[in-house]
Amino acid sequence: MANPFEYNGSAVVGMIGSGCVAIAADRRLGIQGQTIATTFDKIYPMNESLYIGFYGLATDALTVSSRLKYQLNLYQLRENRQIKPKAFMHMTSNLLYSKRFGYYFVEPVIAGLDPVTKDPYIATMDLIGCPMETKDFVVVGTCSEQLYGMCESLWKPDLEPEDLFETISQALMNAVDRDALSGWGAIVHVIEKDKVTTRTLKARMD
Amino acid sequence: MAAPVVMPYADPSAHHVSLGLDQPVSTGTTIMAVEYDGGVIIGADSRTTSGSYIVNRVTDKLTPITDRIFCCRSGSAADTQAIADAVKYNLQLLSIELNEAPLVKTAAHFFRQYCYKYRDNCTAGILCAGWDKRSGGQVYSIPLGGMCIRQPFAIGGSGSTYLYGYCDAHFKTGMNKEESIEFVKNSVALAISRDGSSGGVVRIAVISEDGVERLLFTGKDIPQYNTDM
Repeated sequence: MANPFEYNGSAVVGMIGSGCVAIAADRRLGIQGQTIATTFDKIYPMNESLYIGFYGLATDALTVSSRLKYQLNLYQLRENRQIKPKAFMHMTSNLLYSKRFGYYFVEPVIAGLDPVTKDPYIATMDLIGCPMETKDFVVVGTCSEQLYGMCESLWKPDLEPEDLFETISQALMNAVDRDALSGWGAIVHVIEKDKVTTRTLKARMD
Repeated sequence: MAAPVVMPYADPSAHHVSLGLDQPVSTGTTIMAVEYDGGVIIGADSRTTSGSYIVNRVTDKLTPITDRIFCCRSGSAADTQAIADAVKYNLQLLSIELNEAPLVKTAAHFFRQYCYKYRDNCTAGILCAGWDKRSGGQVYSIPLGGMCIRQPFAIGGSGSTYLYGYCDAHFKTGMNKEESIEFVKNSVALAISRDGSSGGVVRIAVISEDGVERLLFTGKDIPQYNTDM
């Protein structure tokens, strides 16, 4: 039986810039070596300025994102306000830990702006919900080592949205080009305080 | 009474994908060889993986054995390199003893000797193809167990599973050089677009009485299929 994290293949990266965040992922859906689709998006918008991407088993990514959206909708109805990214991170962590002994085989990347202060926020966690918040970048994927190398070399603090787009795109593209299970297209969301720019990248389709 | 079950891969600290450099280097691959009216055309992708890490994205899987005989290698990179070196050595010695260029059939049967004898210890899928004076262009397939069979065209490697239908529908005997090159290039491109273990560039070699012509197709020159599926 294959490793559930390597079954479908994925790569997701989040980066902080000056007053903005970016989140990017590949678009491949595979069954081990075989590519099934090249338009399978791993990043789900939770509201206008909060996005979550998943690495790992595709079926669990779909389930966890649905459950999170359901919990988030109820939160917004009860609280009558947009959720803070940090609170959303805790909500995700709690959801994953609730399956402590029968896991969801996913690791999320959360990227968003605080609804009031517009501060940028990124976080990731392991499959049972241990959170990690950073000030620079977060990476998950079948090519996570490659992504770490690319991000460590390319990232600089206080990148403007256009430069952040270039940086995150290059980090993702060059990392997935050294991985047999991810790639086949890429999508990048740059989240600023008044808009979100989504671009699909022309990538190697091998 | 059932005890609480923890699944075998359920240790959270151990689930991570390692870089894979401890796993054997494999040319999970797409290789192909076709007989045409002047000789043979052989083709391959250029990806070598160790687990899921791509260790070489510009590999040359078309290995010369003599100046008119080549082999396409798939399976374990170490096994196929070792066998190809041994066959090359044996053929050189034989051609000195016989004082003539070796036959493709002889090369193929040398491959088979090694692959069959060491079948339990080898993972090697080889296509041996070339031109000789007696029979012209020939393609021999030596798959995993060590059998040897001549075919008008042969495909191999993990990517070849996506090509059986396409090749059966498009192959014709007695194609000319340009048609054969298109056939090989399109086939390898199709496999690259579906198979995770194949990718990079398309390398092609044309082997005929006049010698060996090597071709390389990169980037935009490789046909793109179904980019929006």
